[in-house]
Amino acid sequence: MDRPIAYDKLAREDRFVRMRAREVASLKVEQGLPPFPDLTSRPSMRERVHGILVGELQAMEGAGRTVYDFPEAPWEFTMDMARQVWDESRHVEIYLGLLDHLDGYVGEFPETTILWRCACAEDAAARVAGVNRGLEGLACDVFNQLIHIAGKIGDPIIEKSVDYVLADEITHVRMGSKWLNKLTEGDPERRRRAIEFQESIDDRFNLGGVRQDGQHEQVQISIAKDARRLAGFTDEEIERLIKSTQRSPVY
Amino acid sequence: MDAHPLVGDLSVDASARLIRHYRYVEERMMRMMGGWIALTPELPAKLLLGRHVWDCAQHADLWGRRLPELRTAAQQSEPANEAVVRFMDTLEGEEGYTETPERLAGIYRVLKPHLVSAYEDHRARANPVFEPPTRRILDRCLDEERRHAAAGQIVLGALTRDADPRRCAEAWEKRLQQALREAGGITGGSALVVSGGLSHPRACDDIIALGRVLARPELPAELAQALDRHRRAVQAGDLASVAGQVLETAWEAVQTQYRGLPVPLTASEVVAVAKIGAYRMVKLAFKGPRGLAVVQQQWRQVENAWRLYGAEVVRTEPAP
Repeated sequence: MDRPIAYDKLAREDRFVRMRAREVASLKVEQGLPPFPDLTSRPSMRERVHGILVGELQAMEGAGRTVYDFPEAPWEFTMDMARQVWDESRHVEIYLGLLDHLDGYVGEFPETTILWRCACAEDAAARVAGVNRGLEGLACDVFNQLIHIAGKIGDPIIEKSVDYVLADEITHVRMGSKWLNKLTEGDPERRRRAIEFQESIDDRFNLGGVRQDGQHEQVQISIAKDARRLAGFTDEEIERLIKSTQRSPVY
Repeated sequence: MDAHPLVGDLSVDASARLIRHYRYVEERMMRMMGGWIALTPELPAKLLLGRHVWDCAQHADLWGRRLPELRTAAQQSEPANEAVVRFMDTLEGEEGYTETPERLAGIYRVLKPHLVSAYEDHRARANPVFEPPTRRILDRCLDEERRHAAAGQIVLGALTRDADPRRCAEAWEKRLQQALREAGGITGGSALVVSGGLSHPRACDDIIALGRVLARPELPAELAQALDRHRRAVQAGDLASVAGQVLETAWEAVQTQYRGLPVPLTASEVVAVAKIGAYRMVKLAFKGPRGLAVVQQQWRQVENAWRLYGAEVVRTEPAP
């Protein structure tokens, strides 16, 4: 098996439709729709949940690749990544259940692979910085808001199950912070590149102003400051993320 | 006469050596299963591997932490011989899109059942007075490896209902059994190779999305009819009818894509329908004696008629 594999080797059943995020967004905008599904209606919530489902799938696949791609990394690193594979497989199961709960089906919306591409970084430190801190940090934002909205509309199934997923994601961010530090110990250049990679992911996933600092009901994705603090992000990092949301390119 | 309770079959050194062999196999198996997840299309198989990676990592870790208690270095792996390495290399080799049955057969019908038999053999020989730490690890690994093998065989059974994948999986299983026999099993000292046939009361806990019926894609009736007409026309090579459904400016690009279909075509079906607002992304699978091609298309409703706005061949497979 190659280490790492090419982006386009990511294997899917035929029922999934894979497209570039940019193309999906442009086809939506062309129809007067928001490029990213909000949480204001059941169909849009279903689309958001479907997007999270494929994100969890890609997270499981990415963590699995990390287990395989870095046999020389410390054993404890492999253990953390193997644990993450299991966590993500449960998350997929949870989101399959939630999609069912919302009367959706697997493949109902196109799958984009930005997340998977981020999980293909060739350096282990960059990969954990990008995936565990960048993407799992985004997951904290998205899930925190989903829990809040589900509580508000009285949907305990979504509220409770996603709360457990959020707890796992916070753990994954902590793992990312720990391994970013350990893997780059004594190598400031490697650390700089890894953090740069994470910041490029943060920028990309600000989604042109979709992610912002604000009330759950007022912004499409609100930055989960408390969850991020719990996960080990410093106030300075959170502040920097908030500032970066004000200058993000659209897709 | 009963044997003395302190009679032991394995020395400390021999026990440590076996543990290093187990660790080698559990670690390599765990890494290859992790690597395969992204390469495996079928959701139940993908999720099965995802479930088991963590268990195998813990087995390798438990063995690795036992080693210093047996006067050797922690977390060391050691293959029993070169033939074991060749066996693991061979096992790892099947990574193609259509080779999930081979991957599952290798892990769940060959390696894990064999591991169970090796662990059982060790447990029977491990003295209950002075080797309980090893026996406890063996008990845990035995239970989990049995569960894995049983769950894997259920998923494999579902993926090999058709004769072709079943034949491939069986042939692969035989080849791996032979390689394992040549190695003398994973410990190098045993001709015992057990295959398949394991059950476990909690095997179903590891199985996700197998035969799960989520709501079926709903196609607007007019689109379903348009797709039926389209599939029939493409199968028949009736380009004039196909062209009538395609946006004029997209026709040349669509034609270029369709030239890559493995004609003659004998069957076709809708395999995916995804929504982007009012637009529909559809995947059609076309089959013929030369193989299969999956075409991804974009359909839009224009003045009450569904029109094809673009098409791309996204996957092809030669006939088995």
